[in-house]
Amino acid sequence: MKVKRLLRRDALNIFEAVLFIDFLRGLSVTLRNLFRRPITTEYPKEKLTPPKRFRGAHGHFVWDGTEPDSLKAIEKFMSYEKGKSRCVACYMCQTACPMPTLFRIEAVQLPDGSKKVVRFDMNLLNCLFCGLCVDACPVGCLTMTDLFELAGYSRRDEVLRMDRLERHGIDFKSRRGDEPDRIWPNDKEREKLWGKIKWSG
Amino acid sequence: MSELVVSLIITLIKIAVLLGVALGVGAYLTWFERKLAGHIQARLGPTVVGPFGLLQPLADGLKLMTKEAIIPKGADVPVYYLAVAMAVAPAILLFSVIPFGPEFEVFGYKVKPIISDVNIGLLIVFAMGSLAVYGTIFSGWASNSKYAFIGSLRKASVIIAYEVVLGFSVLGVILLAGTMSTVGIVEAQIERGVWFIFYQPVAFILYLFCMLAESGRVPFDIQEAEAELVTGYNVEYGGMKFGAMPLAEWYLNTVALSAIAVVLFFGGWSGPNILGPVSPYFWFLAKTFGLVFFVLWLHWTLPRFQAKDITEIAWKIMLPVALANVIVTAVVVYFAGGSQ
Repeated sequence: MKVKRLLRRDALNIFEAVLFIDFLRGLSVTLRNLFRRPITTEYPKEKLTPPKRFRGAHGHFVWDGTEPDSLKAIEKFMSYEKGKSRCVACYMCQTACPMPTLFRIEAVQLPDGSKKVVRFDMNLLNCLFCGLCVDACPVGCLTMTDLFELAGYSRRDEVLRMDRLERHGIDFKSRRGDEPDRIWPNDKEREKLWGKIKWSG
Repeated sequence: MSELVVSLIITLIKIAVLLGVALGVGAYLTWFERKLAGHIQARLGPTVVGPFGLLQPLADGLKLMTKEAIIPKGADVPVYYLAVAMAVAPAILLFSVIPFGPEFEVFGYKVKPIISDVNIGLLIVFAMGSLAVYGTIFSGWASNSKYAFIGSLRKASVIIAYEVVLGFSVLGVILLAGTMSTVGIVEAQIERGVWFIFYQPVAFILYLFCMLAESGRVPFDIQEAEAELVTGYNVEYGGMKFGAMPLAEWYLNTVALSAIAVVLFFGGWSGPNILGPVSPYFWFLAKTFGLVFFVLWLHWTLPRFQAKDITEIAWKIMLPVALANVIVTAVVVYFAGGSQ
């Protein structure tokens, strides 16, 4: 790394002092900025779209036929229902979560022996949006969406229940599902960003 | 109808027009300044109330008028109220000696677009400029708050220093014009066909500094100094009283002193005749607006000087320069024959 040395005098010479050169330089900076386009987003009227991997409110991906084949194996153990959450109540998210009181997950065994998730509550007031639960999910169910307007009128509004999580998941998939789930769209772009990845052993 | 009644009516009309225009312009300069500041900082400024936020001053006024007026404990109540009047009145009175255009005739009566064409116009300007500081000092004293008091003391020290420099910087122009009447100074410039800024560039720069100091603008806004003194001398005021102080200091004073600068250095209403009879007014207002714009532009460019630096610059640098300028001008005028 080359170090660029900048000369910085702490006193102006007489020419600069008399002609207010530093004033004029400052004025030219503000004038240039005056004619630049403002960068304001007028929030309630305009909203920015966060990147796909933005960590907003949580959502559940649902059984909709797009899941990988490997998940088909668990269909017969679960009470499988199209358009319902993929959650298998494995408690991995709760285990990964740094906050012990954030999740409330309950599951029951139906008479035919399959497992049904009856409760999946997330108290977002406890959540620090670290995303560890998403990484922990073994069935690719739990996700984080790009919804960031999470203000509510009561504490109860901040608890995400199963139906709201499913709604978020369906909504997120329909809007952003086609975008690549990485910050690089393909291997070529990745190499531009990170260089060629080689096995280190 | 006697001469006196007619002149009284004409004067009253002039006062009404000027007061309305000055206060309206003062209010709308808040909008303009906020827009300018916003765009300089890559923001938008007010946009919500009305098209381009044009109704923002009205909304602000409405908000300020409906605010609760709280008088701080231990305040000197009569002085507390007097301070507002003392801040606003001199700022408006400054407008009384500003000539907006040449003499014209309406129904056989000669009308000068200046409220009082006195032959000591510039003295009135100095007097009102010095009086304006009483508003600041009274408000700082009466509100029984250390921030306000520090702010007002700072302003007092600044004004004491810069009044002197202001007087000496303008003296050069007075020597050249040979009169203290504002109309006379403009006419002297029109007669010679040259603006006094070309004869007195140093005086103009000194005047500009003094103007910034008198109107409490950056880089001399130590009496407000948001970062150090909350907002300085007007911190204990609420409602429209709070609105009136910056309106007087930052806007009316700036406009009035810019107009005086135009009279002194930029030839007042002189300019090419492009709009017929309205042209002198156009030129005067355009030049004044240009100077006001420059002041606002400077406000959003420069940081604030330290309190000790401001007075030091005034006493140690600007006063000697102003004195030298006066002496040189006097010698040149004496030998080259100034106004005669």
